[in-house]
Amino acid sequence: MKVKLDPRTKLYMILIVSALIMLSATTPFLWAIRIFITFIPIAFLIVEKRYTSAFVFTGAYTLALIMTFVLVTDESSGFLKSFLTGYSGIVVQFMPALIVAWYVVRTTKIDEFMSAMQKMHIPDGITISLAVVMRFFPTIKEEYGSICDAMKMRGLSLGGGNVAKMVEYRMIPLLFSCVNIGDELSAAAITRGLGGTVKRSSIEKLRLTVHDWMLIMMFSALTICFVYSKYFKA
Amino acid sequence: MNSKKLTAKDFITIGIFTAIWFVVEFACGMLGYIHPYIVAGYAVILPIVGAVPMMLFYTKVEKFGMISIMSVLIAIIMFVTGMGFLGAPITILSGIIADFIAKSGGYKSFKKTVLSYSVFCIWVCANFFPVVVTADSYRQDLIDAGFSAEYSESLFRAINYKTIGILVVLCFIFGIIGAYIGKAVVRKHFEKAGIV
Repeated sequence: MKVKLDPRTKLYMILIVSALIMLSATTPFLWAIRIFITFIPIAFLIVEKRYTSAFVFTGAYTLALIMTFVLVTDESSGFLKSFLTGYSGIVVQFMPALIVAWYVVRTTKIDEFMSAMQKMHIPDGITISLAVVMRFFPTIKEEYGSICDAMKMRGLSLGGGNVAKMVEYRMIPLLFSCVNIGDELSAAAITRGLGGTVKRSSIEKLRLTVHDWMLIMMFSALTICFVYSKYFKA
Repeated sequence: MNSKKLTAKDFITIGIFTAIWFVVEFACGMLGYIHPYIVAGYAVILPIVGAVPMMLFYTKVEKFGMISIMSVLIAIIMFVTGMGFLGAPITILSGIIADFIAKSGGYKSFKKTVLSYSVFCIWVCANFFPVVVTADSYRQDLIDAGFSAEYSESLFRAINYKTIGILVVLCFIFGIIGAYIGKAVVRKHFEKAGIV
């Protein structure tokens, strides 16, 4: 089965999930909605054949859920216990947003994203900068890995036990390479006509399909259920 | 390329530095898992560690709007990662004010840059505002959401109406200190290498 979602649907998904996780879940019904919206992006990860990340996310989220419900009571105390409960609470709280963001960043091509933003009439400045941010996280990770390798080879990983040195040794080379990559990136982008005065066309044809509408309706319905049952039924 | 309008190159610069700044912020944010007092400590840690990339960013800023756009991006990212939207107006506002201050120095004056950076740092406190403004319901939310009572108690002991003012001032002061450190680092490494 191949389902290709429109970037606009994905952005809507991010919006809804981040809004919902900020409202706390207090009843089993609200928890059910929250857990349900967490597993939707996981399902899409499986559809996109990203089995490893889907597996890891499911594992971590389920573990944190179990810990939260089994371990946590209002009287829990002691350092390890408060650490564990605080930790699992944070995971349960922020994991859904993380999963959705991961799914969107990993499965959206930059040109799709750009033309979707253009269709929504977002100013160019925000679009381009956001696209660069999205594209840049993997680059930073890669560069950081190389820097760590180079340091390990010379035995500098711990910076002589000095925290300021440890930060300096990692950050300065990272900044150097990022600035250079940035220059190359802008040269490449200008060659492709970014920043020109004419409206850019795109090879990607974006259309909201049945799947998109179904998802949008489902998320809207879930939000309404959540808000209604949290604020009006009590 | 001397026009006042921002070009694609500027947008790419903004994107890159936002990404770096966010990675720094995220790495520091991890420390908050250890103990809630460290959450309040962001006001000290972030302005100092983040100063190095920001000072490098300031050397590349020459037009109005770059710092403002950066603060908008940060607000968006904070929303997406689940930090809430209450802090967003403050984040964007501090970014725009910082932009005006830097502009009044022509983006070259070091004093204005320091001031601008420390105003920019106030956005770190913006993350605390949901905690303060909605203190009572937020506390209940935290306990309901599975944080232990102990965690939330210590969080509120560190962050409340009385301390938020101190935290803003701390952000500001450490923004200034961080700016000096950052400038020294930039001078030591980047100006020698001729990148700036």
